[in-house]
Amino acid sequence: MKNIVKIAIVLLMISGSVFGQKYITKNGKITFFSDAPSEKIEGHNNQVNTAMDISTGDFVFKVLMKSFEFENALMQEHFNENYVESDKFPNATFKGKVTNLTEINFTKNGKYKAMVEGDLTIHGVTKKVKQTGTFEIKDGKILTNAKFSIAIKDYNIKIPNTVLKNIAENVDITVNVSLDKLK
Amino acid sequence: MNKWLKIVLILAAVGIVAAILVYKFYINKPHKDIENAKADFKLKAEVLYNEYVTDKATADLKYNGKIIELSGNLSETEIADTLVVATFVYKQGDFGDEGIRCTMLPKFNEETKKIASGTEIKIKGFCAGFNDIDVILEKASLVKD
Repeated sequence: MKNIVKIAIVLLMISGSVFGQKYITKNGKITFFSDAPSEKIEGHNNQVNTAMDISTGDFVFKVLMKSFEFENALMQEHFNENYVESDKFPNATFKGKVTNLTEINFTKNGKYKAMVEGDLTIHGVTKKVKQTGTFEIKDGKILTNAKFSIAIKDYNIKIPNTVLKNIAENVDITVNVSLDKLK
Repeated sequence: MNKWLKIVLILAAVGIVAAILVYKFYINKPHKDIENAKADFKLKAEVLYNEYVTDKATADLKYNGKIIELSGNLSETEIADTLVVATFVYKQGDFGDEGIRCTMLPKFNEETKKIASGTEIKIKGFCAGFNDIDVILEKASLVKD
């Protein structure tokens, strides 16, 4: 009988450590910045769904391309219609894992280097990516920050010759996400 | 005045006016005024959500990028930094509450915060699509009959 109680306690402890390990936000921020010789273009998206399971390291981003906002309406139109073709490819996703999970103490406030790798899908093209970012653990929240660059030709995004000088070959992506524990 | 000079001056004037018009109405055209635009679709919030969940590809083509007026009972209002998001929740899933999220235009922030959960509202916005979890409406405004 004692053994059954012990097993039950151990099982409860295991389930307790597995459940409630998910952190999410639906208002993550992604900024896209193209620094070309004749024009600087910046787009913001504040509606990025992000989830991370700190027990497995699973990390997911879900982005709607039409949620990117640009200062200039014409830029926004070109971005959607000519480049990312958001009618045909409305979603961008990242599905991957934090690979150095053991180096991050999610229960202790502080800044940690995080290595993330996985599949990034933009414009219907999926590529393996490996990035380094920062996780700041602050009073039960996880603030993630990463900056990386992607080559737009890798994602089959074609830039017409006439505007070649206006769009950079590599665009900078900045990710700022504050994750809360899923209740 | 010399005839040629006159022609050159007229052409230059026409050129300048054309350049100003192209700049104002094409290169620097304003963003679409979603609040005052006519809705492409008017429907119940739950109907829109169910269409996306049942057949995302068809709903994407039908609603993405369109102006939609929704009616339904507000579930709750979330505040995320400077954003106020009115939500209609229809499911509990991997991301907690799932349904429709309407990011309000800043001028409607205060009014939206005061609406009690469960109140029937009409809300209009630009549909950015379905991210497999929520349908997203941007630049949303409260519609009064």
